[in-house]
Amino acid sequence: MGRKVKDNFAKGIIYLATGITLSVLIFIVGFIFVKGIGLVNFDFLTRDFNEKVFYAFVQNEDVSMSIDEEALKQKTPFDDRYESLIEGPIYVDNIGAAIAKVTYKNNATEHEQLVISYIEKNSPLTNAADSTGKEMRIGTDYVIQSINGTDFEGLSLDEAAALIKNQSDELKIKVVQPGGGVKSNIITTLYMVLLSLVIAIPLGIFGAIYLTEYAKPGRFVNTIRFAAECLSGIPSIIFGLFGMAFFVVALKLQISLLSGSLTVAIILLPVIIRSTEEALKTVPTSFREGSLALGATKLQTIFKVVLPCAVPGIATAVLLSIGRVVGESAALLLTAGTVAQIPGTLLSPGSTLTVQAYYVAKEEGNIELACAIGIVIIVIVIVLNILSRIMSDKLDVFNKK
Amino acid sequence: MDKKIKFNTKNLDLFYGDFQALKSINLEICEKEVTAFIGPSGCGKSTFLRCLNRMNDLIESVRIEGEILFDGQDINGDIDVINLRTRVGMVFQKPNPFPMSIYENIAYGPKCQGLKDKTQLDKLVKESLIKAALWEEVKDRLNKSALGLSGGQQQRLCIARTIAMQPEVILMDEPTSALDPIATAKIEDLMSKLKKDYTIIIVTHSMQQAGRISDKTAFFLMGEVVEYGETPVIFTNPADKRTEDYITGRFG
Ligand SMILES: Nc1ncnc2c1ncn2[C@@H]1O[C@H](COP(=O)(O)OP(=O)(O)OP(=O)(O)O)[C@@H](O)[C@H]1O
Ligand SMILES: [Mg+2]
Repeated sequence: MGRKVKDNFAKGIIYLATGITLSVLIFIVGFIFVKGIGLVNFDFLTRDFNEKVFYAFVQNEDVSMSIDEEALKQKTPFDDRYESLIEGPIYVDNIGAAIAKVTYKNNATEHEQLVISYIEKNSPLTNAADSTGKEMRIGTDYVIQSINGTDFEGLSLDEAAALIKNQSDELKIKVVQPGGGVKSNIITTLYMVLLSLVIAIPLGIFGAIYLTEYAKPGRFVNTIRFAAECLSGIPSIIFGLFGMAFFVVALKLQISLLSGSLTVAIILLPVIIRSTEEALKTVPTSFREGSLALGATKLQTIFKVVLPCAVPGIATAVLLSIGRVVGESAALLLTAGTVAQIPGTLLSPGSTLTVQAYYVAKEEGNIELACAIGIVIIVIVIVLNILSRIMSDKLDVFNKK
Repeated sequence: MDKKIKFNTKNLDLFYGDFQALKSINLEICEKEVTAFIGPSGCGKSTFLRCLNRMNDLIESVRIEGEILFDGQDINGDIDVINLRTRVGMVFQKPNPFPMSIYENIAYGPKCQGLKDKTQLDKLVKESLIKAALWEEVKDRLNKSALGLSGGQQQRLCIARTIAMQPEVILMDEPTSALDPIATAKIEDLMSKLKKDYTIIIVTHSMQQAGRISDKTAFFLMGEVVEYGETPVIFTNPADKRTEDYITGRFG
């Protein structure tokens, strides 16, 4: 066999391997997009995952319609993944809004319901209050279930409209805020990223500074390094179990945003320490000597000269970390929970997109929805990556000429 | 007229682990003069120079015996190293400006000492750059990165940075070895000017340079000072055969 043939053979294998890798990647991303893209729309991004039922207290006040019947028919804010129009809409003066009847269908149930299809600008619905007197918002596509104790169940659209019109004093309406979106999961994910980075990055950077600048090389440092290396190889479910036993139970932090981000921060630490250490090591000794020779202290040298030079490396650590937090499922499942809500405090639970995708796929068997969440995850990772790239370019001292 | 002695070393030995790099060095370095260290590669010139502002502290394995008196005080004794380094500045072989603006590079040292006043800093930066003969070239780009300067400009910036600390002594370790003849000439010129205010100690591989700029010359060989004296004497009438061989280029 000639050398050329051998070369070509080797080249062929390299190309083949690259080709296979690329096509697998494209196939996976493509699969997720094709499966899930049908579900991704504005509502999907802006709505909560679960429906929310509450009572709204509304003034009884006539407001006439400012648009004509044709225009009213065009207002169809229904979630066409689940809802299709049967009847209406009809404008009802004393709530200053139009209602319509739709069928609601998802993979578990099918029923008819009344929804609000249009709201006038100065409609009494726009300054509704909840039972505690707090101001609340009623939007289009909200479902209405009863008024002043009378259920709409079984009524035709006309009968329902008449029922509303016949009320004389203040209206107490049972409304359902539609769910099916992942807004809360997106926000939880961002909180989780932010919080765990805020915990892990300073710890990691200071740890790395200690290891490279202060600790005497020797058995102790090597032990720490070895431990960090081992940590990064441990599957995250183990950290999840630890987080559950320690943060959730022992420290009584409950299943919460805080427990979750502390647990993830531990997972991130080895990566951050490692990359920061590498970055610190590449800072030329001549900078340190130059600084010390000018009478700067060691601490000044580290913070004013060495660390700024290490920013690109630290940025890489941040990038890796973001991906890690967004992608984490097992550890967060156990420590931050699966409740699809925006965590109001550090001690409230909340599920990140990844946990939600896992939950939806596993518990509800809804692959489409999980894929739709997958798309959002991919987009968020890309956006966060771009943002931190831009940040690190801005901070890179070697880039400024 | 007798000049004041700035540095005085007595039986200075230095070890890197087991390896003895300096052997019983006895040198008296006078104030407001240029003293040159010459000698073949690896003979300990840099090592000795770095003893004078305790840069060798950074190297784990170094052990020092003997005395280095700076204005009569032993610098390896109970002194403030930071203070010593503000009084004894150092310019390195390879220009090492920090990756910051030109202004920040020069303001760095004084800021580390706690100087915050903007007008004072501005004045100091300007004066240092003028003294280092760099002001005209950079006055319009003080806020640009120092890494954008040429090698020769960078080295003058490093000198300006050292001057900004208003030291008494400036140590220079082959400051022109990375520069072209024109930049070298500028820096040599600069040294002759600086010598009326500062004590300058320079390591150089260029005999011509040592001859041109220095008042005294020390010839190092294998960790020892073979000969030390007035530069013209060393160059025209050396007492030691080895010095003569080295200077005339016959040295192996
Ligand atoms: N960090 C160190 N650890 C161990 N040995 C060292 C170290 N630095 C220098 N040496 C040794 O000490 C001796 C003197 O080195 P030094 O750098 O002082 O020489 P030099 O005269 O400056 O040489 P050059 O002209 O090449 O710069 C050399 O033999 C060198 O190998
Ligand atoms: Mg040297």
